Amino acid sequence: MGTALRFVWFWTFWHWSKESFRAEMLLRGPLNGVAGNWDEWFHHEACAEEQAAIAEVGGSERAQRDFVQWLLHTWATEAVPGDNSEAPVFVLRELARVAPFDRWSALLDFRTRPASAGICAIVLAEESAGKSTDLRRVDAVVLPVEPSVIGGTIAADDFQVEMADLNASRQAVVTVLSGSGLARLLARWVALGPRAYSRWLAVILNIGWFAVAGLLAYLLFGPEPGSWLPPLSATLVALWITLMFVSAVGLGTQIRAAWQTGKKLAAHLEQDEIRMTMPGQLALKGGSAGFAFSLSVLSAIHRAYPHAAKRSWLWQRFFARLDSSNRSRAATGVITPDGRVRPVLIEPKLRACAEQNDVGEIFAPKQRDASQRKLDQIHTTLRTAEAARNQSSSGVAPSPGYAAESHRPRIHRCQHLADAIAKIGALSSPWQAGMNAAALALSGVMLAALPDLGCILLPPPPPAAVAPSSPSPYFLWVSLDTKRPDFFQVVLESQAWVNRRADVAPRNSTPASVRAEIRLVRATRFNEKPNFEEGTVWIERRPRLLLREYAPTERVGRYSLRYLFRLGYE
Amino acid sequence: MKTELPIERVLAWRVAQAEADAPPAPRAARLLELSRAWWERWPESFERLVTQLGSIRVNYGHAMVAEPRGRGYPVPAIVARTNVEIGSLAEILYFNVASARLRLRFQVQPPLDPAEPQLEVTFIAVDGPRPLFVAPAVLAPSGEYRVDAELPEALARAWAEIKVTDRMPFRFVLREATPP
Repeated sequence: MGTALRFVWFWTFWHWSKESFRAEMLLRGPLNGVAGNWDEWFHHEACAEEQAAIAEVGGSERAQRDFVQWLLHTWATEAVPGDNSEAPVFVLRELARVAPFDRWSALLDFRTRPASAGICAIVLAEESAGKSTDLRRVDAVVLPVEPSVIGGTIAADDFQVEMADLNASRQAVVTVLSGSGLARLLARWVALGPRAYSRWLAVILNIGWFAVAGLLAYLLFGPEPGSWLPPLSATLVALWITLMFVSAVGLGTQIRAAWQTGKKLAAHLEQDEIRMTMPGQLALKGGSAGFAFSLSVLSAIHRAYPHAAKRSWLWQRFFARLDSSNRSRAATGVITPDGRVRPVLIEPKLRACAEQNDVGEIFAPKQRDASQRKLDQIHTTLRTAEAARNQSSSGVAPSPGYAAESHRPRIHRCQHLADAIAKIGALSSPWQAGMNAAALALSGVMLAALPDLGCILLPPPPPAAVAPSSPSPYFLWVSLDTKRPDFFQVVLESQAWVNRRADVAPRNSTPASVRAEIRLVRATRFNEKPNFEEGTVWIERRPRLLLREYAPTERVGRYSLRYLFRLGYE
Repeated sequence: MKTELPIERVLAWRVAQAEADAPPAPRAARLLELSRAWWERWPESFERLVTQLGSIRVNYGHAMVAEPRGRGYPVPAIVARTNVEIGSLAEILYFNVASARLRLRFQVQPPLDPAEPQLEVTFIAVDGPRPLFVAPAVLAPSGEYRVDAELPEALARAWAEIKVTDRMPFRFVLREATPP
């Protein structure tokens, strides 16, 4: 018999379920209420042939496995709207609870396997001062809804909670996926986070930044570069621009991908329904489980739409680490719709975590008494008490456990849901933060030095000597028509006057001009009659970089003293 | 000692022993008493439960920004267990009247702790403290109770058009099922 025909009874159930929901006989949609709907159909609607066909499939484990595969791959493709990967798994998990699937060995895994990697809320039982049983696993599942039902809702399945608290958790996730929370996460990642480059590219970029630092240091503090100045400057500028370009493109690409992915996932949250479960059938008082709910919803949205995050390295990294931890995580904190984590009563919750050996990480609000030191104190006190109990009961001193430190949970203090994402995704790297700070500082220096480097690489045109000349016979003014006077200097060479060099600078004394002012001092040789109009004034280029001035290079102008004395008067 | 006996003799001996151990058959008056509905046997208790049921208010605020998930209206319910009566709500998940039979599924909110595998559901009219009928409800593995009961003809006609999302014309008294 073909696979489609072997399992046609499931289609019959599915269509009955859809029609009954449409006719408003069933309250819950076909996906949402699949377990109860199946139970009703199986006991009251399935005909004898269908019952027999179901029994036949249930009769062999191989046929059961075929059914599971068919449901996951064939049925899901046609029946589940919106490419939701979690929905068929959810259906199997739900069906595994009801007859006759509750006896199928092929569904054992779906009966026992937890839905997610495990985020625990720390919810204290009445009058509890913090016990390991106060850690309660929170599971969320994101399901598509029927077109006639408004989505974007969140509901608690087997516990009672204020709807405002649940909605705040959901809204916080939306914010961190596509709102101000994401901007905060991205800003943090840009400043402190590791980059998405391959290892070799990261090494090359790091070497590049070291080269920029080295070149800058050489040019600023090293020996006179002479004719190497232009090629060294060109190398420095090209290297810096390349590094900036690669960094900007890398960051821009990742930010864009993260933004688009977050937007896509947030859109799913706006359309789909979230169902939360927590064991214990509790009626929650207070909103301190909100932080755990949000983390659980984040895990659920990725399980439902794993392909959506594929394009973003940042989200991919976070979700992979969220789902792969072999030790569970616990979270406590009131979460606000904008993603902020508010303080809670923390000490009994830390004690509950310290009692539970499986907890690897604790996410808590940033408050004074939520510290690693405090947690370690509680942990040590508990272990000491435990050791004392063991000793008194057995009469033998316990042997020291040298691996005990590794079991200590780590506490992460978070002001915002984005901080928890950064911690879980290991989006902080001290090395990268150091490199970023260094790159930022180098870029600041480079930006300040760019005009000077530009003048070294593209020298300003040679200036001409212009009026005004000095009104005093004791001074020689060499006025130049240039916008970069600091890149030139003037040299007086004469038999009659003491030779001098002078800087060119803007002078504000009347008449204002850009000029070099040389005080004229007679040379002391009087063996012949001096010709005070004899002499040459040279204009030289004098490159500089920030505070460093290099030796003059080429001479770009030559004027006789006679010409300069008369300039502007004749 | 003779160890081989015919099976008929063994069976006859077992029946005789069972008859000797069995309680005496109830008297006619007791049988009549047992056949009466519980609200006729204990009218004070019924009155108290109905009064309690009337005090459970389900108020709907129409300021909601989105349609609630369940869409339906919860039904006030009193869970009457030994020495304790708890006011509760029952979410109706499935409602179907066909061929004068009612098929109904509901979930008690918050769930009963411990869960009763079977309940006796008394349907009480909303428009007056009058019992409509009583039916057994069986706990399904999905945590819901299912009712499959024959309806009086008048009720079957009146309830034929009711949808699961409508306000229900009844309230529940949920009692621990009496053993048969």
